[in-house]
Amino acid sequence: MKLRILIYTLLIGGVLSAAEQTSSAQALDISAGGQPTITGAVNGSVTGNSSVTSDLVVTINFGEVSPLNQNSIVKVVVPIAIRSNQPYQVAVSMSGLSNANAQALQSSDIGFGAQNIRLLGGAGKICTQSAHIFSSPFNNDPSSSATVAANGRVTYTSSLANLTGATVILSGPQLSKNNSSIRQQSDGYVFDAIFALTPQFFATGISSATLIFTIAAGPNAPC
Amino acid sequence: MPRSSKQFSYRSTLLIAFLLLCATACFGQSTTGSVNISATVSKFVEINSGGSVSLTGNSGGGVTTDGVANSPLAVSINLGELGPSNTNSFVSALVPLKLRSNAPYVLSMSATVTSSGTTSNKIGAADVGFGLGTVTRSGTGVNTSGSDTNATSGDPTLAANGSVNVSTGRYDFTAVRSNLSAFTSATTALSGPFIMNAVPRSNSNGLTVPAYFAIKPQFFENGTTTVSVTFTVTAP
Repeated sequence: MKLRILIYTLLIGGVLSAAEQTSSAQALDISAGGQPTITGAVNGSVTGNSSVTSDLVVTINFGEVSPLNQNSIVKVVVPIAIRSNQPYQVAVSMSGLSNANAQALQSSDIGFGAQNIRLLGGAGKICTQSAHIFSSPFNNDPSSSATVAANGRVTYTSSLANLTGATVILSGPQLSKNNSSIRQQSDGYVFDAIFALTPQFFATGISSATLIFTIAAGPNAPC
Repeated sequence: MPRSSKQFSYRSTLLIAFLLLCATACFGQSTTGSVNISATVSKFVEINSGGSVSLTGNSGGGVTTDGVANSPLAVSINLGELGPSNTNSFVSALVPLKLRSNAPYVLSMSATVTSSGTTSNKIGAADVGFGLGTVTRSGTGVNTSGSDTNATSGDPTLAANGSVNVSTGRYDFTAVRSNLSAFTSATTALSGPFIMNAVPRSNSNGLTVPAYFAIKPQFFENGTTTVSVTFTVTAP
């Protein structure tokens, strides 16, 4: 009996130790940063977990974006939490949204920007020697930067068309004070990924795309 | 293997699986996240006024409710005197229409003509000439490719579209769909490919086409006549 207890204890210790080592090695984390919001939509929605300890899994349905939607713009704000114990960078890659018809919804028709980085809580690291920098041209609110081009179509300062491969949109110094391997409520930063789509006379159809946000070790950024 | 050893092995396996799941849940961090995006574009068509009505050849009467460009089409016209005291060859009304769509469209029309007269000499649907004029696709954001099919014969006052009937003496609008008797039920008057490129609704351009209505003043039975016309645009 004592031997079994010893073996169970060793098993628990071994497994937890392995998990701890895996997590500690993973000093970079991206997660949900709060409840996403949508405005100006007709039959649209956005779903995502509001808990900052949840994985980032968001579904945006812009809804109707023909002129049947008489709102000037459909805007979605997705808060994203990031944590790191080292300099980091956040990159975004896109798949889908390849309509052959030029009058159908294109990646350039969905404005995309990132703004408003802020402390997630008291355990977020405040670095004085380096700043958190949104890469050009993404540092804007596309719902405010929308303009009408010479051909009459709406354009944005930055859009999903600016994503070529894994495109870095944000980088900076260490984000978290502690070195915990556990995702916590207040140990990093949050920024807003902002999406905007102006209803227009697009060719009919349903379009979809998937964005993958990735956090990785970034360029040297002293804290 | 003794039974107790089998149980121990089984329990150990379960414990390891449980601990791994727990560890993943408790320590779970991730370097990636996903945002899935979708949007729907449905067919959209609209008809509005293309601008002010032009009324010519009238004796008395006038435009009661004029058209206002890019506003809902709701025009009211008093054609005035249509008896022989009006010596003009035709009383004509030109009503500009503006169509917009993101899909192929069909413009249909239906009309009713009601006269207070009681004889065959009263004004009837066949006495009201009708036709759609030249279709114009121009302006920023308008699809200028493709061609529109005008199912009418154009301006009904054109010599090719009507003449005095040699046997009755009454003026007949004889061309295809050149009078309102061809539109007693919803009938296609115009159709074509999508009108607007991908531009916002605030872009006020579109396809414009004049709708002509004409009556030849004649010895009609005296009385009053009301003509009611409804245009409908669809994206079949």
